Amino acid sequence: MENSLIVALTRQSVLARQMDAISNNLANLNTSGFKSESMIFKEQVESTGKNQVVSLVHDVAYFRDMTEGPLTNTNNPLDLAIRGDGYFAVETDEGQRYTRHGVFQLNSQSQLITSQGHPLLGAGGAPITVPPNANSIIVARDGTVSADALEIGRIEVFTFENPAALSKIGNSLYEAKGQEPQATRESDVVQGMVEASNVNGIAEMTRMIETVRSYQSAGKLADQEHRRILEAIDALVADA
Amino acid sequence: MRSLSIAATGMLAQQLNVEVISNNIANINTTGYKRQRAEFHDLLYQDLLRPGTTSSDTGTVVPSGIQIGLGVKPAATYRITEQGNLVITDNNLDLAINGKGYFSVELPSGETGYTRSGALGRSPEGDLVTANGYLVQPGITIPDDAISVTINAQGDVLVAIDGQLTSSNVGQIQLANFPNEAGLQAIGGNLFLETPGSGTSTLAAPGSPGFGTIQQGALETSNVNVVAEITNLITAQRAYEMNSRVIQASDEMMQAAAQLR
Repeated sequence: MENSLIVALTRQSVLARQMDAISNNLANLNTSGFKSESMIFKEQVESTGKNQVVSLVHDVAYFRDMTEGPLTNTNNPLDLAIRGDGYFAVETDEGQRYTRHGVFQLNSQSQLITSQGHPLLGAGGAPITVPPNANSIIVARDGTVSADALEIGRIEVFTFENPAALSKIGNSLYEAKGQEPQATRESDVVQGMVEASNVNGIAEMTRMIETVRSYQSAGKLADQEHRRILEAIDALVADA
Repeated sequence: MRSLSIAATGMLAQQLNVEVISNNIANINTTGYKRQRAEFHDLLYQDLLRPGTTSSDTGTVVPSGIQIGLGVKPAATYRITEQGNLVITDNNLDLAINGKGYFSVELPSGETGYTRSGALGRSPEGDLVTANGYLVQPGITIPDDAISVTINAQGDVLVAIDGQLTSSNVGQIQLANFPNEAGLQAIGGNLFLETPGSGTSTLAAPGSPGFGTIQQGALETSNVNVVAEITNLITAQRAYEMNSRVIQASDEMMQAAAQLR
């Protein structure tokens, strides 16, 4: 049977997906709050007849690296980063979504919103409204927001039992997918900073080179197998 | 290969980043310029295996699934309205705003523009105008025979006229403030326009609660920080290079696939 060809094919198809993951990480090298992802492969053993097995490769899951990205200073009072676990909750048309992309602005009603216009939710689930003409907005480590020394609300940080199971929906937002968000006070909110992407460019580049080389060698394997079959056919024909 | 187009989105994003940075650096000496920052979001995700899908009859679920991201997109280029430094120019019609607020000016189109660049001058009629010659709102006329002009922190324009003992007040400069300054639309020439995003302006005298004060004989420099911009430029350029390498690598993979026979 053409098992070796199939083995090479499964290898190449997962490597192509791995390459997609690497290129997405590198494309998001400068996306605030982005978490890098890599693939988990699994050996799948298939029986091919009497006492014969062939091991194929199969991609089972994505692994999201949850380590914190470096906090970079922007000096913008509305840029917030979370030090520690957790997510900001924002209200979208489809319901609550979660993000670590802490770049906020004010809308014309003086509410704190994301760059997509989704209001940031404070404790109690209400958007945070800054009084007009406030001179300074101070966000304390526990998320308390004050405008000109007057407390106006508190930003709640939520954690999840299994953060890896949050589904990414793009625009730096995550969907809870049935998990209950739990408010936490363990994590600090840091003002004037944004959390940079945790993608490690150099590690991704080496992984990329490895992926390309493995892809090429899997291709060689398929090519050699092809030649072997051709030679076998030639030899058999010559004998006849 | 998705990776080709994913890397292309990465290169486009970094190109925009470099453009924003270069505009900041180009405006390093522009009076009242506020630096901008490019922010990015990840693009949508393709679910190949949804997280939370049941993986057996006994109800076990896939913990994280396979979601392939399709790249990056620019989210916003927002202005950081941090106060710039004040430099003394000793020109009595150079005004800096220390704190929040904008000067309102009447644009030739009849619209009202807003600016923080207080390098003012006088029109042939003696009206207070910006460097472009646009009238400052509310109109203030300095008489021809004025020998000196003093503008105090509250924006009162006091002129001393030859032969008069007391200086006379010819008007007060008003400042405009917005619920969301970052939502103003920049139209060049140091001017901004009101947008639905910025909210409507409130006018008040300088020094009112929530408004800055006027500093005569000074100008507000741009708030661009060169060192920060250069380091951002380096990261943006490296990110651009890495994304271009991904395109090369994807090309090599496609080549390997094409040579398979």
